[in-house]
Amino acid sequence: MKVGLVGNQNSGKTTLFNCLTGMNAKIGNWPGVTIEKKVGTIKGTKHEITDLPGIYSLSPYSAEEEVSRNFVFNENPDVIINIVDATCLERSLFLTTQLLESNCKVIVALNMADKLEEKGLSIDEKKMEEMLGAKVIKISALKEIGIEELIKEINKPLKSKQNKVIPQYLSKDYELEKYEEIVNQKYSFISKVVENCIKKKIKPEAISDKLDKILLNRWLAFPIFIIIMFLIYYLSVGIVGSFTVDLVGDSIGSFGEYIGKLMQNLGASEWVNSLVVDGIIAGVGAVLGFVPQLIILFTCISLLETTGYMSRISLLLDKIFRKIGLSGKSLIPFIVGSGCSVPGIMGTRIIENEDERKMTTILTPFIPCSAKLPIIALFAGYFFPNSSGIASSSLYFFAIVVIIISALIMKKFVFKHTSNTYISELPEYKLPSAKYILKDVFDKVMAFIKRAGTTILLCSIIVWFLLSFSFKMEYGVDIEESILAGIGTKISWAFKPILGENSWEATVSALQGLVAKEQVVSSMAVINGLAEDASQGSQIFASERSIWFLHSIISICFYGI
Amino acid sequence: MKTIGEICSLSELKIGQTAVVKSINITNKNVKRHLLDMGLTKGTKVSIKKIAPMGDPIDILLRGYELAIRKADLKQIEVEVIQ
Ligand SMILES: Nc1nc2c(ncn2[C@@H]2O[C@H](COP(=O)(O)OP(=O)(O)OP(=O)(O)O)[C@@H](O)[C@H]2O)c(=O)[nH]1
Ligand SMILES: [Mg+2]
Repeated sequence: MKVGLVGNQNSGKTTLFNCLTGMNAKIGNWPGVTIEKKVGTIKGTKHEITDLPGIYSLSPYSAEEEVSRNFVFNENPDVIINIVDATCLERSLFLTTQLLESNCKVIVALNMADKLEEKGLSIDEKKMEEMLGAKVIKISALKEIGIEELIKEINKPLKSKQNKVIPQYLSKDYELEKYEEIVNQKYSFISKVVENCIKKKIKPEAISDKLDKILLNRWLAFPIFIIIMFLIYYLSVGIVGSFTVDLVGDSIGSFGEYIGKLMQNLGASEWVNSLVVDGIIAGVGAVLGFVPQLIILFTCISLLETTGYMSRISLLLDKIFRKIGLSGKSLIPFIVGSGCSVPGIMGTRIIENEDERKMTTILTPFIPCSAKLPIIALFAGYFFPNSSGIASSSLYFFAIVVIIISALIMKKFVFKHTSNTYISELPEYKLPSAKYILKDVFDKVMAFIKRAGTTILLCSIIVWFLLSFSFKMEYGVDIEESILAGIGTKISWAFKPILGENSWEATVSALQGLVAKEQVVSSMAVINGLAEDASQGSQIFASERSIWFLHSIISICFYGI
Repeated sequence: MKTIGEICSLSELKIGQTAVVKSINITNKNVKRHLLDMGLTKGTKVSIKKIAPMGDPIDILLRGYELAIRKADLKQIEVEVIQ
């Protein structure tokens, strides 16, 4: 059986999807988190279930909404679960009335039932069932309440399947006046349903409103925002960052020595020993040393996403961002992009205006993503040994300056006609589920480790090989005679303008940074490990000062493209 | 401050004031339809809930939920003040 999850943005569709399938698709407390449909299987059954982008109406408005509309009308679902935010029935039921017209079997799931009491609401679902003519079930996707009843209802055999109909007013060539009239009729029916089915007690001031009095306060909002953002990057890049730089230097080094001795005792040949210690352990280890930093950064981003503060930031900065041709909503891709540019760029779809969306897409990779974080921390540690924390977190502010300047240039010369609309539901603050955050961070860190185990492992071995052998395939040559040095010297002239001098070491690692940014650190570690005198190593770092900025700000990894 | 019974645009209200929508004169067809879908129809009660720290966008309360919209769009929505 084919089941679809259709509902307003931010109503909890993905939370329910994860609960029914056991998957961990991305959840966030702002409208428009899901932008593509995702298919899974309901646990314990054979039903195929599809999570869809949130929509407010079946009329075509944006590309993602088209995905959901298309699912309802053209993909022939057997059952549609209409997720309704029970704390906001009136607006949500508009879509319900449209779905009911489409001839599908619709189950109305009143989600967030756990919040009804707190909001002083009580809903008579039997009465509602009667008025709507569809099954209504109260659930909580977050607290996993009412899920069994929902599955039971899905399992009920279908009567006869009827053909879908697209009402005339929902077609592409509708008349706005006629449309307005129909919308008015629907909303007056909905008002009647709400009047009959909901009882409202007078409630005390909501926690969200109290919080917003501080977080959106005219004087406090900006300082609080800057402190929060600074803390996030200072904590992950700065404090934990400089700590891990030492870790890279010391523990990986002594671990390598230990393994080296062990292998010597086991009688491994010299080159095998060097491959493992100088190549693999130095290379992969250097990158893995950054896992603690990533855990902190990913946790902070996940918290920003799920609590609802993200929507406040977007509201806060909209006026400034509009001046440079962006929208307040551009901030969401930027922040998500500080984890990884790819989901950041995908997230730009929530921006309605095409110019604003294009500009945000171009600018998102300018934010240093987590893969650049090891590079930032490593070099900050070398250049500013006493204040590396401040230095590396201020790099994010430097990135913002670069973004503002580029945005202004683009606005002036490329995207001249930006119209201005910003329409977004402001969600209430929510306590996120710890289980989701743990899983989310775990998934992202594992993805990073997997890359360290594959791409970076392979590259480390190649770099080691190129460094340990000469063109004549002799092992154990002086590093200056290695293949890599040969290649690097030949092409280093091309990098002279950025690097400031002819250095084959820096050239090689800069080239690799294009493939995967973490690789820079790893090949630095390998080259450094094999270089015989220490001065050779530090010379590399000196010439890398300029590419530090280059890498951190400009370069886009191939994964991004 | 606009007084009760006065007809004005939604952007002119102060925090806490409530009004009823008279007409939506937004020229962009897509934007207007989107607002209609979200329940901003003639006769809807709206009140000003929060204002962004820089004075724009404005967060309005309608049909039990909050919607943030820029002032420029609110200017094109005509309302009658009731509170
Ligand atoms: N209190 C409570 N919160 C919930 C419940 N279900 C979801 N949420 C929260 O609501 C927010 C939105 O959840 P999502 O699952 O991302 O919503 P969605 O419908 O997929 O949203 P879009 O993908 O943006 O359309 C998250 O912060 C969830 O933690 C629930 O039953 N109770
Ligand atoms: Mg979703």
